[in-house]
Amino acid sequence: MDQVLTGKNLSLGYEKGQDRKVILSDLNFQLYSGQLTCLLGPNGVGKSTLVKAILGRIRPFEGEIKLLDKSPVDYPREKLSKKLSVVLSEPIIPAQMTVEQLVGLGRTPYLKWSGTLSELDRKYVNEALAATKMDFLRKERLGELSDGQRQKAMIARALAQDGKVVILDEPTSHLDLVNRHEIMFLLQDIAKNQDKAILVVTHDLDIAIETAHQLWLMNCGSPLIAGLPEDLILNAQINELLPKDRFFFDPKRGKVNLRSEDSGLEIQGSEDLVFWLEKALKKRKSTFRTEERIHVLENPFRIQVGDRIYHSIAEFFEESQTSLR
Amino acid sequence: MKTNQNAFFFILAAVALVFLFLINLGLGSVSIPIDTLLSGLFTGEWEKSSHREIILNYRFPKSLVAVMAGIALSLSGLQMQTFFRNPLAGPYVLGISSGGGFGVAILLLAGSFLGFSGMVISSWATAIAGILGAVSVLALVSLVAWRVRDSMTLLIVGIMFGAAVSAIISVLAFFSEAEALKLYTIWSMGSLGGLGWNQVGLLGLLLGIGAFPLLLATRSFNALLLGETYAESMGINPVRLRWLVIISTGILAGSITAFCGPIAFVGIAVPHLARLVWKSADHRILFPGSALLGAGLLLLCDTIGQLPGSAQTLPINAVTSLVGAPVVIALVLKRNFSKEF
Repeated sequence: MDQVLTGKNLSLGYEKGQDRKVILSDLNFQLYSGQLTCLLGPNGVGKSTLVKAILGRIRPFEGEIKLLDKSPVDYPREKLSKKLSVVLSEPIIPAQMTVEQLVGLGRTPYLKWSGTLSELDRKYVNEALAATKMDFLRKERLGELSDGQRQKAMIARALAQDGKVVILDEPTSHLDLVNRHEIMFLLQDIAKNQDKAILVVTHDLDIAIETAHQLWLMNCGSPLIAGLPEDLILNAQINELLPKDRFFFDPKRGKVNLRSEDSGLEIQGSEDLVFWLEKALKKRKSTFRTEERIHVLENPFRIQVGDRIYHSIAEFFEESQTSLR
Repeated sequence: MKTNQNAFFFILAAVALVFLFLINLGLGSVSIPIDTLLSGLFTGEWEKSSHREIILNYRFPKSLVAVMAGIALSLSGLQMQTFFRNPLAGPYVLGISSGGGFGVAILLLAGSFLGFSGMVISSWATAIAGILGAVSVLALVSLVAWRVRDSMTLLIVGIMFGAAVSAIISVLAFFSEAEALKLYTIWSMGSLGGLGWNQVGLLGLLLGIGAFPLLLATRSFNALLLGETYAESMGINPVRLRWLVIISTGILAGSITAFCGPIAFVGIAVPHLARLVWKSADHRILFPGSALLGAGLLLLCDTIGQLPGSAQTLPINAVTSLVGAPVVIALVLKRNFSKEF
């Protein structure tokens, strides 16, 4: 597990003439090979700025980024492209191209002017297709794929580029739930099996916790927090992502929850059932009050208040508004 | 199988091109039978000296110009479409044809103000004026290109320059004499004929110079299909590529406009035809494919424009659009094509 990318006391931002606008300061991080790292943070916190700096498109005001032995801005463009590849969220893709041709484009930095693939290049393309399980679609045109398959093809392209580091900027933002999971687990596998350092910028906290080996949390005005997802949950640092007055991370459920007043109701029953009933009450902002104890029972599901029985939460809400008021 | 199919279409297009070339040579106000033509071309002996004269000094250079113009315009159109990632881009989006027109307009229309009206204006003079005009507009656009980072801004600036220059031409036309105006209008309709061997040679040289850099940048154009950010992440230098595109289209489309006038349509349509025929986005196929189809299309249009059997010819600019537009509309409607760009 080597450090392939490190940032030390970084300060980043944009320059326009004499004006310097600092967006991020005092950043410290390490990206390890063989690991999937997820970068999380609210919109506008400067994730894209950090990615741009890692890609060598902006020069840090202070501090340094090191990719292997040099700062990304000091690499010649072509050398850098052999160390680092990217996948973006926007799918700008020529529909006429086949998957195989797209993945072949990943070999661009290694090709001569004509862009003809050598035997070795083909080997890399095949490996990338195999690693992303896109083998069976290799002759398919991109216009005929689903969004999830297309994004996998883009990942295969990035792999064929054969860099040590792969950076993905919100790769799953257009995808459905199953595809999101699938792609993140795929990336986790690739990081491990091919010893790549993979950095994913994402908003998907759940899936990031599920799949990442390391999390980077960014929030306005606080330094970047890095650590094992589980550690960050247990020491509550994960709450740094959230506006603390309104939300909190529930370590038991592994979910973000709204902070709210206690409903003031006494609910009894098995933990799961109570949890969902309370959730429903919170969502309703229910003002329903009763001195009586509420029982939630299983098999079949029912809610018992005194001698009244309701068979669903909806029914409970409906009746409680009329009869109990 | 895919490679075989591609090769088949290439051979087909090449054979069609040779046939069109021969037909183009043979047909015209004087029809020359194909056997006379072939024996004359290969043995150098002609039955009638008038045939020799017509073919060697009039039709052969004209057919060659049609081929070269077809190649040059298609290649510029293709690189513009890929560079701007816009299916509507063509060789003239950066204002090259307006610039050429501007140069010629100054020569033909402003003569009465500047005091050289009535002079006999040779085709060399028109060509030089056209080149100067195209180069100066291109230089202005390049100045902007140097400052802006993204290609969309460049596209808008190019179109605006074109519009402004066209407006100046209109003002000139408004104040000019009827005779001069007619000369300018005829120039703007385009013509493939009337060029001597010297000019054809120069055009060939310019075509070579303009097309050569494309050969070296095939890899970059392919990478650019994924957009500038991806291309850059794959080691392509977008700034260098932008200059290559500006210079290459400047030379290719600029020289054709200068010698033949603005020829519409071919540059936009042919790359789309090539994509439809070869079903590929790969520039290793599209560059030669567009060149072949462009040359063939312009030869065909020129042959039709000669109105075989009659002494009249139609302006090439009108024919390309009249013939080409229905063909492209039909193809585009048949296949759901905007998705396939």
